[in-house]
Amino acid sequence: MSAATTTSRATQAVTAARPGPTFGRLLAAEWTKLTSLRSPWWIAGVTLVVAFAITYLSAEASSVNPTFYPLESLPTGLLLAQVGPLVLGALVGAGEFRTGAFRTTFTLVPRRWPVVAAQALVLVGFTLVLGVLTTAACAVGVLPSAASRDVPVDLTEGDTPGIMLGMVLFVVGLTLFGYALGALMRRTVPAVVTALTIVLILPVVLLVGGDLVSGPPGMAPAGEMPAEAELTVVDTLVTVSPGGAAQLLTVPASEGPIEGSPDLGPVGGGLVLAGWTGLVLGVAVTRLRTRDVR
Amino acid sequence: MIEVEALTKRYGSTTAVDGLTFTARPGTVTGFLGPNGAGKSTTMRVVVGLERPTSGATRVAGRSYADLPAPLHAVGVMLDARSVHPGRTAYKHLLSMAQTHGIGKARVREVIAQTGLEPAAHRRAGTFSLGMGQRLGIAGALLGDPATLVLDEPVNGLDPDGVLWIRRLVRELAAEGRTVLLSSHLMHELALCADRVVIIGRGRLLVDASVQEVVARSERAGAVRVRTTDPEPLARELLAIGAQVSPQDAGVLQVRGATVDDVGTAARRAGVTVLELASESGSLEDAYLQLTGDAVEYRAADAAGGAR
Amino acid sequence: MRVLRAEWTKLTSVPAHLWLALGTVAAAATTAFGLGMFVDAADGRSGAWVVTSGFVLAQIGFVVLGGLVGTSEYVTGTARTTFTAVPRRLPVLAAQVLVTLVASLTTAVLALGASYLATTWARAAEAPPLDLAVPGTGRALAGFALAAAAYALLGLALGALLRHPAAAIVGGLMLTLVGDQMLATNPGRVTDTIRAFLPSAGSRLLQDDAAVASLDAARHGPDLGTWGGGAVVLAWVVLTLAAAAYRLRRHDVR
Repeated sequence: MSAATTTSRATQAVTAARPGPTFGRLLAAEWTKLTSLRSPWWIAGVTLVVAFAITYLSAEASSVNPTFYPLESLPTGLLLAQVGPLVLGALVGAGEFRTGAFRTTFTLVPRRWPVVAAQALVLVGFTLVLGVLTTAACAVGVLPSAASRDVPVDLTEGDTPGIMLGMVLFVVGLTLFGYALGALMRRTVPAVVTALTIVLILPVVLLVGGDLVSGPPGMAPAGEMPAEAELTVVDTLVTVSPGGAAQLLTVPASEGPIEGSPDLGPVGGGLVLAGWTGLVLGVAVTRLRTRDVR
Repeated sequence: MIEVEALTKRYGSTTAVDGLTFTARPGTVTGFLGPNGAGKSTTMRVVVGLERPTSGATRVAGRSYADLPAPLHAVGVMLDARSVHPGRTAYKHLLSMAQTHGIGKARVREVIAQTGLEPAAHRRAGTFSLGMGQRLGIAGALLGDPATLVLDEPVNGLDPDGVLWIRRLVRELAAEGRTVLLSSHLMHELALCADRVVIIGRGRLLVDASVQEVVARSERAGAVRVRTTDPEPLARELLAIGAQVSPQDAGVLQVRGATVDDVGTAARRAGVTVLELASESGSLEDAYLQLTGDAVEYRAADAAGGAR
Repeated sequence: MRVLRAEWTKLTSVPAHLWLALGTVAAAATTAFGLGMFVDAADGRSGAWVVTSGFVLAQIGFVVLGGLVGTSEYVTGTARTTFTAVPRRLPVLAAQVLVTLVASLTTAVLALGASYLATTWARAAEAPPLDLAVPGTGRALAGFALAAAAYALLGLALGALLRHPAAAIVGGLMLTLVGDQMLATNPGRVTDTIRAFLPSAGSRLLQDDAAVASLDAARHGPDLGTWGGGAVVLAWVVLTLAAAAYRLRRHDVR
């Protein structure tokens, strides 16, 4: 349409070497891609609401207890709200492949793996903010019941700062785990279902099995077994599974391990989760680098 | 400049591209033709580095695609209209592409204007019609102002205005000294805008020649078409003067080795009434159908064999 | 009738659906086998529990199946074809409901059969036998199939309503499984009331009389009776389907 202007530029195209992708530019591009979709904002909004609502409900429920300690309820909202980060990560990881947008992306960056690094880093940035806001929503969630019982809430005391940091990292870590699964599986529905199954449902199934091994708590009239002190297979499996390890991030360091499982502590739990994420992401990147994308 | 050299691509036991060699040169529009499944899209995906060749090589501007320092500035690519996230607006899609190469927002708005996308720039790509999707794809290809363009079926789904626009656009781009490789199944479209055609069938090169050369090879080129009330006596007369005659439907004869004048004279001798008499010119479409006919038939035979 | 046959062909011609059904059966049987190994008479778990214990994993399969069927038209862009072929859109939804119902019931029965076979060995060892004379055993077995079908239909309805598979499946899993598990960690009057009215209450159908009694003893929420959980999940299915039908009639298909 504008032949005159493009002609001059065409000659320039042949002569002058123009700069290509740098990591900083990829970050900017991926940030635009992430924030120009609606689903991340929806997921973030729902996550915040759920985190607040569940924390509020559980603080209300436990406020009838005579030994009510509001800060104990702080991470409870995350039990349900963790679905948000997982789904967000899986959607971003699989989204390009589901929609075919990967063709555009990888023709712009033929080396491919820097795109994965940029996407992961942009997600870390986005979910750091989301994690802080989610933690704040949980903190606001415990206030009403604390006020009704006249219990002061001091977020700087004892383990609380550590727990809140753990909660933020929990949101970031689960998003990255979901992202890794999405990048590996390349399809939205299988990635989301796998992420939810591994993180949320697998521990439940394992724990049902664990109950059977160590005797059912309160359900059976005859089940009066002594608690076992040594490590059990099932509890260890739960603890080193991605979901169980992530959960440790929100447990105070001073609390010690759940009965029958190894004592990883919040740092150990975070490292186990990071290990799983790195493993899955490593397979995804290897496949991306060595195989065709169609 | 795009060079494809002895390119072979296999998927398991099926061979999509088989020893293909051709070159698309600067300043020309190279049309890339072939029946569905002939390997056009596979070749284009290998050229832009999405797939690796089983053997052989492809080069753009003298380099392997993966070694290009700034791919967006070197090659404008439009592969499939479905290379866009449907949840993203056209503007944000182009902006995210531009950002990878440090291209400013002004250029993004420029290509949006150039491709006539202004009214739809802030709509989500998922709501676009096929034609709008094609315009968005072309906008992305033009974004880096590249010296080479690879366009897969760019006129697909465009309205007549859009087809005319593409035709003029690719001519302009070639006139500016750029290399344009464009695939299509619309033969008359290519005849109007391509300088050279590369025709492939079953992954193999059938023809690499200028459009005029290919048209001249067409069976119909130089033939005479005549329609009469009584074709048989005329056919006898024509054979007597050494022409080749092939009867067509409803009293029509196709004659080779004789001019229009010869046929008219022969008709008077045979005493038949001529209803229609014309010399035929070949078309790219004819030539294409002739060339690819075999390739298509082979495949049909294979399929029948497989079903048995 | 022709609509029905078309929907059945669509359901069975997608390999993913068949693999999903197979995976669901396998997940149910494997879980039952694994858990069955640990059950002994002292646990107070019944024979019905052993056979139906695979539901906790298998229910994911049913929600996903329903969600995929409900959104398939919109994902593949066949919505235009389908709804042009059948200008009245509701028969399509009705046919999908029927087809999903049949498919999920069949899968559930197969899963139940596979779970029974997989736990044969466990029963020979410590686990209690499957005894229909134990009150509620028949209901627990039927409940497995009924709850499975209900969850598949809920997935379908959410899919038809939201038109996005990931959203439908995540929503379905929240409502049928995850929400309940998470709320269960904080027992209380409020959370137990919410739990009673979530679709996950449908899993009550899988409990025999003794298990229902022990659940009720530990509960602070409202008492829905023996079949109440089934009524709750049925209400969810009907309401969601109605909302989906409304959206289908009122809003454009794109």
